[in-house]
Amino acid sequence: MRCDFCGYEFQEEEGNRGCKSCPVSAGCRMVKCPRCNYEIPPEPRWIGRLKKLFNK
Amino acid sequence: MKLFGSKSSCHTPAADVKCGAKKVALVGNPNVGKSVLFNALTGSYVTVSNYPGTSVEVARGTAVIEGENFEIIDTPGMYSLLPMTEEERVARRIILDEPLDVIIHVVDARNLERMLTMTLQLLETGKPVILVVNIMDEAERLGISLDIPLLRQRLGIPVVGAAVGKKRGVAEIRESLVRTREASRTLPPYSKRLETDIAEITGLLQSRFSLAAKAVALLLLQRDQEMTDMVRAAEGEGFAVVEAKIKDRAYARRESFHLDLSLERKKIAEMLLAGVFHAPDKRRVLLSEQLSRWTVQPWTGVPLLLFVLYFGLYEFVGVFGAGTLVNFLEGTVFEGHFNPWIIGVVKSLIPWPVWQELFVGEYGIITLGVRYAVAIILPIVATFFLFFSVLEDSGYFPRLALLVDRLFKKIGLSGRAVIPMVLGFGCDTMATMVTRTLETVRERIIATLLLALAIPCSAQLGVIMALLSQEPGALLVWVGCLILVFLLVGVLAARLIPGETPMFYMELPPLRLPQLGNILTKTYTRMQWYFVEILPLFLLISVLLWIGKITFFFEKMSSWMAPVMASLGLPRETAVAFIFGFFRRDYGAAGLYDLHTKGLLNPRQLTVAAVTLTLFLPCVAQFLVVKKERGMKVAAAIGIFVSSFAFGTGYLLNKLLLATRFL
Repeated sequence: MRCDFCGYEFQEEEGNRGCKSCPVSAGCRMVKCPRCNYEIPPEPRWIGRLKKLFNK
Repeated sequence: MKLFGSKSSCHTPAADVKCGAKKVALVGNPNVGKSVLFNALTGSYVTVSNYPGTSVEVARGTAVIEGENFEIIDTPGMYSLLPMTEEERVARRIILDEPLDVIIHVVDARNLERMLTMTLQLLETGKPVILVVNIMDEAERLGISLDIPLLRQRLGIPVVGAAVGKKRGVAEIRESLVRTREASRTLPPYSKRLETDIAEITGLLQSRFSLAAKAVALLLLQRDQEMTDMVRAAEGEGFAVVEAKIKDRAYARRESFHLDLSLERKKIAEMLLAGVFHAPDKRRVLLSEQLSRWTVQPWTGVPLLLFVLYFGLYEFVGVFGAGTLVNFLEGTVFEGHFNPWIIGVVKSLIPWPVWQELFVGEYGIITLGVRYAVAIILPIVATFFLFFSVLEDSGYFPRLALLVDRLFKKIGLSGRAVIPMVLGFGCDTMATMVTRTLETVRERIIATLLLALAIPCSAQLGVIMALLSQEPGALLVWVGCLILVFLLVGVLAARLIPGETPMFYMELPPLRLPQLGNILTKTYTRMQWYFVEILPLFLLISVLLWIGKITFFFEKMSSWMAPVMASLGLPRETAVAFIFGFFRRDYGAAGLYDLHTKGLLNPRQLTVAAVTLTLFLPCVAQFLVVKKERGMKVAAAIGIFVSSFAFGTGYLLNKLLLATRFL
């Protein structure tokens, strides 16, 4: 994925997630950019599958 | 840190690294396509871990090319071998510590001259280097042409022209990886004076380092602390002579060594690129580039920002989302059809009035909780997130950071603080957590305070804009008050909290036309998150409010807060909106929406209530995060200050509006 703030490209697994001290983290799936910590919503799986289907 | 060159080891954290695998580091400025190349070279099995002793993550992967095993390391962005940031330090430590077989230096073809100076530094390390001139497609689009074979011949290393995002050049890079064995090239020399300085230092070094002696000498002459410590440890007593020589050279140059070296490297880069890099005399400036320049220059950037805020926030979120959509959902769907129907159903099923109240009463789970969440908040956050995603996907936010950097410095922050501030307009709780990424404690405290005080979250912002957009004067007063408070409190906090404001610089990613797919995906994901988070909370709050009603808690609270409300010129019922607001900011704003709909507030009262509620205590979740991040003392101090300040501002605003009869 690409950070919308600094443009850094990284694997979704590299990003920081679900900050433990956040009281709303249970419902939050945001991925934080490893370089600038900007929060990026990950692409839902069903949209990814849909894209793959159309790309075939 | 390893001092001496060593052979490849299998004991690395890399993913499934085969013994004897060649170690390759991808190096370069941020945003030149290193990670894209990393993904193109490696398979899907990649490990990401913090570099030992740091919080900087480094990705490692493996590749098999023509039967040969490679371990590929994606290093953090760096501008020079002389590091300034933690990321750069990590990237350099990889070059120094890891027994690299090849360094791939990725550069942006459009900025080749500027980036080639780092290629020179990498070549000075003595390690084999492959130069990848990336983003060739964009350069060609700008009319730039490059003679890659000539550059290859001049540098004496493999040089590949590429556009790795489009797979162009990837096969050539793979081939170069297999073929590259030895570092064999002769670089143009520096000036005689500089070469003499270098030779004098290298002549004194007795140890063998993982970098070539020339690179070590240059870093020593630049007073690089890490390198100085390394050499001191390696040379032992002999270091005193080296140190004396460095001091002597620094004295002779009157500390202008950095500038001299930069100018010399620039000159060599220009020489190497003569006849290689051809840019059109009058380079065609693309519309996106022109727009990008306008967004960061104050005279054009501020009007553009106001334009974006007017059409995006006021017209789209305020008038369309919070006006048209909410009127339809709240008025027509809920009040007109759904509520009468559900009230009938619940009353026919539950005979006890107290329990009927729980579901469909004044504070009922359905008639208040669901109505607030679905009919009022949802359309507002949906339009806000749509607007937010358009700006985000266009690359506008980093430009906003540059635009406000100078202003932010006056309030003790740097442009980097735009990240939590912008995120605060989505959710202040999450934004407060992001303040931990700011460089100094001072910045973190100021940003936390301003988020708690003057940054309304998306839903609160939307509801308040919906309320005030019917009274343009009221909206003007509200916006003016918030900006004034933001700047005033920021300036005061910056003066009261000692410390320096850190420097802010960043490489701007390109401004681009937002992609519809990205916008819809981001809006959908944010709305889904928001809805999943708020609906249960809204239902829970409805239950608490129901308990508050049947125990007469709210009546007592309203009576208790009546003098405060009266001092603000507000009816006592407004106290309920403030109590709601502590549970959730948007719930409080929605409470205000209800009071206005019932005709209980005139324009002046509406403005005073909106300003006070926006400045009032953050919601419970945000308060907990402030406590967690900054400690109980700071959280309590911020809580007390924010509450007093909110009511004080409300009181003064009411007096001012009464005296001027503005509203």
